[in-house]
Amino acid sequence: MSPRARAALPQAFFLATDTGQRFCLFHPPQGATPLGRVLYLHPFAEELNSTRRVVAGQARALAQAGYGVLQIDLLGCGDSAGDFADATWAAWLHDAQQAHRWLDDHASGPLWLWGMRSGALLAAQLAALLQAPGTAPIHLLLWQPVASGQQMLQQFLRLRAASQWLGAGSTGEPPPSQTLAQGLAIDIAGYTLSPLLAQGLAEAHMPAPGSLQPGRLVWLETSSAQTPSLSPAAGRQLSAWHAAGWQVQAQAVEGPPFWQTVGTDEAPALVQATLTALTHPPQA
Amino acid sequence: MNLTEQVLHVLDNALSLQGRAASFDRDTPLLGSLPELDSMAVLAVITGLENHFAITFSDDELHGAVFATVGSLCDLVEQSLARQAT
Repeated sequence: MSPRARAALPQAFFLATDTGQRFCLFHPPQGATPLGRVLYLHPFAEELNSTRRVVAGQARALAQAGYGVLQIDLLGCGDSAGDFADATWAAWLHDAQQAHRWLDDHASGPLWLWGMRSGALLAAQLAALLQAPGTAPIHLLLWQPVASGQQMLQQFLRLRAASQWLGAGSTGEPPPSQTLAQGLAIDIAGYTLSPLLAQGLAEAHMPAPGSLQPGRLVWLETSSAQTPSLSPAAGRQLSAWHAAGWQVQAQAVEGPPFWQTVGTDEAPALVQATLTALTHPPQA
Repeated sequence: MNLTEQVLHVLDNALSLQGRAASFDRDTPLLGSLPELDSMAVLAVITGLENHFAITFSDDELHGAVFATVGSLCDLVEQSLARQAT
């Protein structure tokens, strides 16, 4: 491997926090002119896994262009310590602050907070926490941001209902929102959602743009329509950011809803080898 | 595109069927017949339809029977559109 290719490799490490280790990937900035730093905040539950590939590709591309990009797996997510059942919204925001501190020590230049889906809420809330009078503006890169934590929670709870439809009829169990309201955790698609996290998520809002020091806002959505256009919900929010003095760039680009679909990679040779092994056993 | 074609378009995208939905009609069975349709995929179809038609389903009207066939899914969208128009 050439020294240049080696320098371009992301650095994987565990960030020590007071509640355990967080898995991080840092993509060092390439080229002679560093452009800035980017902290990436991932989406909720299984969406973290669905989005890994696209996000990793983007992180590499940004690093190549001169940005130092840090990705962190939040408490109970991905390869980080803790169980999903132990996660809370406040703990995730705290993790994001710790990651920012690390990035502050290891890269320089304009700061971008990049959030995907519910990660966009975290990014905007982190911007509100980090801003201080007289400091440089913090920029936001939001991918397919959810309108609110409540909307995200509703979609996640629907996942539970959907898995029941796949089974033989209804089980007659109470709706998940009722179980959570009783202070009990529920299992959804392999994730244990605690009442505390459900509440924190439900209460997570995008901060009012006027409460933030204006910077640049890049808002991107994908669409499978022939002429991609932003969602109606985006239009309303964007005008609020614009009115608050943010320099807004918003666009819908052609692309699949990759955060909710599983990969479509195929392994035909594996399928064929299995088929051959089970239909043509070797002669003993 | 008529309503059924639009629903099939959303279905194709949400499940990454790569054009296979074009051969579906109203009687094509979905839940239990389409291997791609797991719970994540059901959710992808729901949100895909909500986004495409700018409608919102209530949780009461979402149940397994809705995903029985292409036709039952189209009926759900039609009802939601009609409710919104009033």
